[in-house]
Formats: sequence, structure tokens, C-alpha cells
Amino acid sequence: MAVLADKTERARFIPGQADMWAFVLFESLVFTAYFGFYLFYRTQNPEAFLHSQAQLDLRVGVLNTLVLLLSSWSMARCVQSARAGAYQAALRDVYLTAFFGGVFLCVKVFEWARQIQLGNNFDTSDFFTYYFFLTGIHFVHLLIGFVVLGVAVYQLRSPARRSQQLVETCATYWHTVDFLWVLIFALLYVVR
Amino acid sequence: MSAVITPPESAATPPAGPLHQRIVWHLSRSPKRELWLAWATMLVFYNMFFPIFFIVAQVQPPPQPTWDHAMQVHWFNERHLGIPLGLGIIFAIGGMNSINNALIAYSMRRMSITRVFGYSYLIIYALSAIPGLYLLCIALIVGTLRPERNPEAIEWLYDFAFLSFDGTMGVFLIGSLIWMVAILIDKNRVFPKWFGYLNLCNALTELVVAPCWIFRRGVLAWNGQIAWWLDMVVFGVYQVTFIVMLFQMIRREDFGTGPLPDLPRKKKVAA
Repeated sequence: MAVLADKTERARFIPGQADMWAFVLFESLVFTAYFGFYLFYRTQNPEAFLHSQAQLDLRVGVLNTLVLLLSSWSMARCVQSARAGAYQAALRDVYLTAFFGGVFLCVKVFEWARQIQLGNNFDTSDFFTYYFFLTGIHFVHLLIGFVVLGVAVYQLRSPARRSQQLVETCATYWHTVDFLWVLIFALLYVVR
Repeated sequence: MSAVITPPESAATPPAGPLHQRIVWHLSRSPKRELWLAWATMLVFYNMFFPIFFIVAQVQPPPQPTWDHAMQVHWFNERHLGIPLGLGIIFAIGGMNSINNALIAYSMRRMSITRVFGYSYLIIYALSAIPGLYLLCIALIVGTLRPERNPEAIEWLYDFAFLSFDGTMGVFLIGSLIWMVAILIDKNRVFPKWFGYLNLCNALTELVVAPCWIFRRGVLAWNGQIAWWLDMVVFGVYQVTFIVMLFQMIRREDFGTGPLPDLPRKKKVAA
């Protein structure tokens, strides 16, 4: 009976505020619409999209994906450490997450600069419109993510605060940003 | 058998009975009548706002940014009655918008936060009404009233109207962010936290309108699927939600300073 109750409890457990999951759902729907428009216009002119897509460096996309997945890994470690009461370790993991996030942003800016040097601007072609738009709006989400990490640091630094729920809410946001990037990476770099 | 337990009636509790009796009570004796009046004004405003823009004036959805002079003049001519009539009504009822903003600012004053949030929101939305609403109306009416005007002036008015309307969403973005932060740090539980996050979703889609200054065609133009249509869907969801949220806030309002009480629930008990 106790095992069953424990399983039911686990099944009902939602990490962080349930409210943040409403945000995750809504943002996922909005991004699904963005992806839908991208795929629709891609089917209208597949050759032009492929031609533009070939100018992206897949290695840079893979590097950024790995960096962001590492940031999600360190954020998950932060949640685990905070749950275990190891707040110093949790803080180190947040800083590590911020470091990986910073690396992602630097690589992204470098990639944008390189594309602009190659003559691929915001309005050069439909593909590059989507490329700059999707990576740009994701960039903004990641910048907000740094504010969210700041909230996690604020919570973890003082024994008077340390709300486990808020730390998990921050982690939920960060994982959402990561999840959206994986989809953007697949659509812009991988799907041919 | 079951019985319904209801909370005891007080001077602030509306009497049970038909809807019209309750409305009369709210208008004459309810301590919340000013709040209900503001909420009803908001409801009337938005119920007039959309039909006027979409049906009477027919200036939304926005026309093509790429049209040449002849198409623009034709567009103005087709609406030579609708634009002055519809947008004239907007000028007449536009003041209602300040009452909407005041009600939202009131919701922030009821929170456990500094009043700076409410006043900032009021100032930002009062200013944003000028580029986001009135300049559009003025430019379109001016373009309609003198069809024989210099072609360059007509083209200028056409671009000015829609760029002013779509291109200034950044001001609304800041307003949404202010409301979001207020909701997330509030301890009086005036609104649920998910509504704060919905404000962030709305703000992010308003950011997406900014590229309409660059694009004349495609999904990011001022009439594009992403910059206009998707944003309109998100704004529609957001708007209906905040009207319902404000309705619930007024129902829960106790004119105190602490956490807003939950609505009393009717409990069924076995008799």
C-alpha cells in the first residue's frame, strides 16, 4: 500500500510552480506556429531553402546544441543539489549553467556576424529571414533565462529564502529554452 | 439528499434573486460599484473596438505594404464612409481606454508592491495610445477625406498609419512586462502566477512585430502571418484572459491590504 501511495505521489508531482508549465505549454504552441509557417514556406520553395541552408555551418549548430544541453545538465544538477540541501554545490551549478549559456550566446553572435559577412542578412532570402527570426527570438528567451538564473542565485544564497519550488521553476524555464533550441536546430540545420 | 451551505449575507453581499435585481443592487448599493463600472466600461470598449476596426472601418487586417499608389487610393476610396464613421466612433469612445488602464493600475495597487508599478503602467499605456491608436486613426481619416491629394502624401499617410499602429508595439511590451513583474512578486495573490507568465508570452509576441519596419513582404511584414495574424491570436487569448482575471479580482476584492480572499465555495453536505 505504501509503495502504491508513493508511486501515486510521484506521478502527481510537478517540479516547480504548476503556473510555469502553463507558460511552457503556451510558448510551445506559439513556437509550433512559427515552425509550421517555416515548414509551409519551405515546401513552397524547397530548392531555394536548401541552397540557403547549405551556407550554414552544421558544426557550429552542433557545438551550440551540445553547449546548451550541458547547461541543462548543470541546471538539473543544481535542482538535485538543492533538493539534497547542498546549496553551495547548487550555486556552483547555476554559475556553470550561466557560463554555458554565455558560451552559447557568444557562439551565436559569432555565427550571425559570419553570415552577415557572407552577405546573408535578415532580408536576403526567406530562409535567412526565418534563420535570423527563430534564432533571434530564441536569443531573447535565453537573455530572459539569465534573469531567471539570477532569481535562482538570489534564492540559493540566503538561508532565509531557499525556495525549492522557485529553484525548480527557474530550471523548468531553462529546460524549455533548451528544448526549443533543439527543435530550432533540427529544423534549420539538420532537416534537408 | 443534499443541502447547499451558503455563507451568511452581509451588507456587501448581493441579494439572491433574478439577474436584473442583482444588477440594480450592484449599481445602487454595492461598495464595488465603481470597480464594476470600470470593468463594464472595459467590456463595452473592447466589444466596440474590434467590430469597428474589422467591420465598420475595415482597416484591419492591414492591407498589403507593397501596394502602389493606385491600389492605395482605391483602398481609401472603398472605405470613404467606413473610415470616417468607424474611426470617428473610436475617437468618441477612446477615453474609455483610460478607465481600462485605471482598473489594471488598481489591480497593481491592491498588490503587496510599490505603487510605482501601477503609475508606470498608467503613464506607459496613456502614451502608447497616441502612436498605437490615435495616429493611425488621424492618418487614415486624413487620407480618406482628400482623395485628390498629392500621390506622395497619400503614400506617406498609408505607410505612416500602419507603421505607427504595428511598429510601436514595443511600448505595449514594456507595459506587459510591468504587469508581469508585479504579478510575480505580489504576495497578496491578486492574480495567479500563470497569468504573470501569460503577460510574458504576450510581451514576447509584441517584440516579434518590430521587424515590420524592415519587411514589406512575408511573414514579418505589417500584415504577415507571424507579425500580425499570430500576434492577434495571442493578443485575443491574452485580452479575454485579463478581462476574466479582472472580473475575478473584483469579485474577491475586500478593500483590505492583505492577501485577497478566495471566493466562498458552496459546499454540498449530506443531509
